[in-house]
Amino acid sequence: MMAYREKTAWLAIAGMVIGYGLLFAVAQVQGGIEAMTVQRFLLLFAIASAVRVLIELAGRFGLARQAGVEAGVPADERDRAIAARSATFAYIVLLTGMIIVGMIMPFSAHGIAIVGAALVAIVAAELVRYLAIALSYRLGWQ
Amino acid sequence: MSGRRLTNVIRTLRFHAGEMTQGELGEKIGVTRQTVAAIEQGKYSPTLETAFRIADVFEVPLEQVFSWAEE
Repeated sequence: MMAYREKTAWLAIAGMVIGYGLLFAVAQVQGGIEAMTVQRFLLLFAIASAVRVLIELAGRFGLARQAGVEAGVPADERDRAIAARSATFAYIVLLTGMIIVGMIMPFSAHGIAIVGAALVAIVAAELVRYLAIALSYRLGWQ
Repeated sequence: MSGRRLTNVIRTLRFHAGEMTQGELGEKIGVTRQTVAAIEQGKYSPTLETAFRIADVFEVPLEQVFSWAEE
């Protein structure tokens, strides 16, 4: 039986895949991110983020009702350990992304490409964090 | 330490302790039922403090609860 925190992690992953997947699809239809203005890209990113947040909020509400008491139980040592380790993985991804965006890309790209890459790095870090959480609960962690 | 994994007999101890449930054990040692299940299945190694608490609940030595097994 899946723990409540594992379910919320998978929900977050689903929200990101749907929200940012839509952003990617729209961008591709419109000729790619490079064909957009920065303002348009940021608007689409904001819409994608709102879609993701709505999916998560609605999903968490439903999961909490289904879980009952379990949803309100404070995190125990295993929950805290999984959260900490997942945050470490996400930090590494985010740090790598920021190094690429801030120290390498300025020499070969500009404008929308750098903005897009920065947002991709942030989303990737979040995705890694939730994947690590979900897999730690599913597969176990030693 | 390669080739060995930590095993436990918590499920057996619970049974002999009046068929204690995972939830009841979890309440006694301060973790959730799911964490107790993960410990029993070998999916999670508890902290030293929690391991001692488990042993205290069943009033047995720590090494009677947890042991090394060859993989």
